[in-house]
Amino acid sequence: MTLLQSAATQLLALSTGTLLVTAVLLVWRRSLGAAWRLLAVQGVALAALVLAIAVAEEDVELLGVAAIILVLKGVVLPLVLARGIAGTGVAREDAPLLNPTAGLVTVAGLTTVAYLVSRPITEGVGGAGGGQAGPAALSVPVGISMVLIGFLLLVTRRRALSQVVGFLVLDNGIATVGFLTAAGVPFVVELGVSFDVLLIALILAMLSGRMHAAVGATSVDEMTELRD
Amino acid sequence: MSDVLAQVVTLLVLLLQVAVMVALAPVVAGVTRQVRARVEGRAGAGVLQPWRDLRKLLAKRPVHATGTSWVTRAAPLLLVCSSLLVAALVPLVAADPLSLVPDDLFVVISVLLLGTVALALLGLDAGSAFGGMGSSRHMMISALVEPTVLMAVYALSIPVGSSTLSLIVTDRRDDPASIASPAGVLAVVALVVVVLAETGRLPVDNPATHLELTMVHEAMVLETSARDLAWVELGSWLRLTVLLGLVGNLVVPWGIATEPTLASVPLGVLAVVAKITVLAAVLGVAEVAMAKLRLFRVPELLAGSFLLAFLAVTASYLVA
Amino acid sequence: MTGLLVVPLAAALILGVAAVLPTSAGVVRWSGVAASAIVLACGVGLLGSAVPGGEVPDLGDGLLRADALSAFMLAMIGAVGVTATWGGLAPAGDPAVAPTNAERRYAALVCVFLGAMSLAVLTDNLGVLWVAVEATTIATAFLVGHHGTRRSIEAAWKYVVLGSVGVAIALLGVVLLYAAGRSAGEATLSWAVLSSGELPLDPGLVRVAVGLAVLGFATKAGLAPMHSWLPDAHSQAPAPVSGLMSGVLLAVAFYAILRVQVIADVVLGPGLVRGMLLVGGLGSLAVAAALVLRQRDYKRMLAYSSIEHMGLLAIGAAVGGPVALAAVLLHVLGHGLAKASLFVVAGRILAAQGSTRVADVRGLLARRPDLAIPYLAGMAALLGFPPFALFFSEVAIVVAGWQAGLGWAMGLALGLLLVLFAGLARATAAMLLGAPAADTAAADGEPAHAAADHPVDLAASRGPGVPIVLALAVTAVAGLLAVPIGTVLVRAAAAVGA
Repeated sequence: MTLLQSAATQLLALSTGTLLVTAVLLVWRRSLGAAWRLLAVQGVALAALVLAIAVAEEDVELLGVAAIILVLKGVVLPLVLARGIAGTGVAREDAPLLNPTAGLVTVAGLTTVAYLVSRPITEGVGGAGGGQAGPAALSVPVGISMVLIGFLLLVTRRRALSQVVGFLVLDNGIATVGFLTAAGVPFVVELGVSFDVLLIALILAMLSGRMHAAVGATSVDEMTELRD
Repeated sequence: MSDVLAQVVTLLVLLLQVAVMVALAPVVAGVTRQVRARVEGRAGAGVLQPWRDLRKLLAKRPVHATGTSWVTRAAPLLLVCSSLLVAALVPLVAADPLSLVPDDLFVVISVLLLGTVALALLGLDAGSAFGGMGSSRHMMISALVEPTVLMAVYALSIPVGSSTLSLIVTDRRDDPASIASPAGVLAVVALVVVVLAETGRLPVDNPATHLELTMVHEAMVLETSARDLAWVELGSWLRLTVLLGLVGNLVVPWGIATEPTLASVPLGVLAVVAKITVLAAVLGVAEVAMAKLRLFRVPELLAGSFLLAFLAVTASYLVA
Repeated sequence: MTGLLVVPLAAALILGVAAVLPTSAGVVRWSGVAASAIVLACGVGLLGSAVPGGEVPDLGDGLLRADALSAFMLAMIGAVGVTATWGGLAPAGDPAVAPTNAERRYAALVCVFLGAMSLAVLTDNLGVLWVAVEATTIATAFLVGHHGTRRSIEAAWKYVVLGSVGVAIALLGVVLLYAAGRSAGEATLSWAVLSSGELPLDPGLVRVAVGLAVLGFATKAGLAPMHSWLPDAHSQAPAPVSGLMSGVLLAVAFYAILRVQVIADVVLGPGLVRGMLLVGGLGSLAVAAALVLRQRDYKRMLAYSSIEHMGLLAIGAAVGGPVALAAVLLHVLGHGLAKASLFVVAGRILAAQGSTRVADVRGLLARRPDLAIPYLAGMAALLGFPPFALFFSEVAIVVAGWQAGLGWAMGLALGLLLVLFAGLARATAAMLLGAPAADTAAADGEPAHAAADHPVDLAASRGPGVPIVLALAVTAVAGLLAVPIGTVLVRAAAAVGA
């Protein structure tokens, strides 16, 4: 393995570790200000992951994708979220359904589930080549853990913008799995997906602002007029 | 014959290690306090002030509260002995264990626990409210730290296949990639939180406070005086020094001596002294930036470190 | 013929842009109808080439590809689109008054919505399909919240969050399918290649991928248990938008499930997706049956009826085979047209009455026969009365299910359909018959707040009758014409391997 390849493997390991740690910290911390900064770090880590895969696979197109992800998920989306938070004036998730300690223990459980679920995926991606799965395929559980952590955030947070954070973590997790199993999707599709996620984040931020103006609060629990 | 000679040489190196650590321990406390003072804009009392305090305390005769038992006389000594034993077991200067002395990480943790329990009993013995309160908080924190420690130890031992500390350190020195691997980083971060909790530093406990609501360690030693206090202080500083040395050797394993030659041992001493001093200074700066956590939020922090250690274990199965 | 692949997308784009630019009020008003009409024309044109000759026009190496099923879906989108947009036209205002920004945005979003739907059915690339389905969520997010009230913002929030999460799961499934293709030797997202059976795809990986993809698209199609966004979104949106969403959006999400089902059947056998669709379908019927009896809001009731029909479609797809699949496609067409007409008429009733509550609408047959008769006809179509197409499709699905050995499921479905029939019929009878509203005491309280939400606008309650009549006529006739409708359906069903 050349020096560049081994450096790429190191970067891969470092970025998957960072992705997982930022996801865990997002469950731990209740401050919305910390949340968008952690999302920015997560975006940068994802871009580093793509860079590592680009070097390992010697694929120039992926370098462009890494740049797009750095700009979009490392800068633009966290800024959209920060603007939304400033607009509603909510600084903390004050009454989550799960206190931090219980949340962290749940994350431990979810990580275990992710490892179990990823077994067929890792085997399917690696085993077909006839040999051991490469380091990228072995890190798939990290992506699945991020998806599950995103779900946890979506379900247990009451503030509208915290749910947006959960959705963005979910999306980062799916992107991670995509890059680890298949070195990303075709460029056209990647562009479309990124654009769609950006628009959804913008819409959600704007809706939460309207919610704040119309309802007077952004706690999703208080929106209970529509039910049977 | 040469086998026995080798064992004697190793024993000598170990005694040197313990001596260096004992000499260094008050200096570490001094460095932390001095750095903290400087950052806060004060002049500070000087790096050697803890040594001066120890000398003063050792010359005095202790006063014991009425109703105390032999525990008050024995506990400080037990604490110092456990700290000395840990200083001998952990690979600081040399990663070359005596064949008779087990250098297993589980043994180290058990010895540390011995010191913890001795301190807790000391706090309880005088029968005062502050002492009991401090002891109960101290034991709660220790109980919550244990799972994290075990997980972190397990995570560190998986790549090596053994929990012998010297093997872990030399393995990390020979394979630098394992230091930067996610499992390695997570395990070390969890271990750092454990060190802060076990030695009573911020954000778990403030070593400079005497306010009733915030004391943990200080509450237990309120009734101690003179020689007993000197032993307790030395024992605590020694624990901090040794654990900082362990963390330093896990993160930057170069410089440690593997064979007791004339060249490698002084190098080992210098390396470990440098690492510990740097870490002590970093600790001082970090303490200025952190606020102490409210007691009911300490379980949150420890649950978080447990999770990191757990993730370290699962991540190390990735590579294996 | 390949030109017909690009025309609907280009038309939607151009008309959407034209609505936003400072053009006249007429352009803004008719842009949606024009776009739908062009889509319909292209769909019929593609059908004309795909059905007799079996020719499959292909553009951009699989980016745009129209087999018989795609052409049928395109035509269906166009037909339902014309019904909803034309029928939902507000009365023409003063031509000298410039259209407001809200009206321009509404028209542009409807065009974008139609364009995205067309792209979704015309593409062979699963990734582009995903992007188009997500784009419809984006386009409709603002359409749902158009009224700007508390309830509509709540509905829009739930819709966007649940829809996006569901579609994100589908993306994970699509990505894993891509990975499966890649590790089998050919990195492709082309449905044609993946479903051809030539690639040695790993079954374990494909199982996970297909499970996730079906789950995600089922969320978008409103199958239980991921249906909770549907009643809110479809009841709070303006009536033509509800018609479009119920008629077209759900059907396109279902189309995505059909495509994924083919891949699963080729690699894994029919068991997995059949099981998932049966659970989803029966669950949807159960949920709709349980809740439709309690409905006091007629738009919400229509939304639950959409859940019911999606459940039926899922059961039909689970049964599989040429008869069931052809029946499913007929059902898609019939349901789309009937539901769009019903929503349009419901919108007019809302404008006439100022309230969406069933209790506030009484004696419609006597007071406003121009609204009551189309509503009655549409409801008859929806409930499955002959000669409407839904009768034939439901019977065919049940018979095919019985023959496939799923008799217990068919029996259960029939029982639930009966409950739904009773609920809907009762509400309709209450609305059309009964003494006029002035005499009835408001039994459930809160009369004032409903009126505050929707001002009475009698002018808006009169709209074009032609689209409604056309839609219901097509629904009535479609089930009876073996040629050409029958051949179209058979050919379209054959495209998904039946």
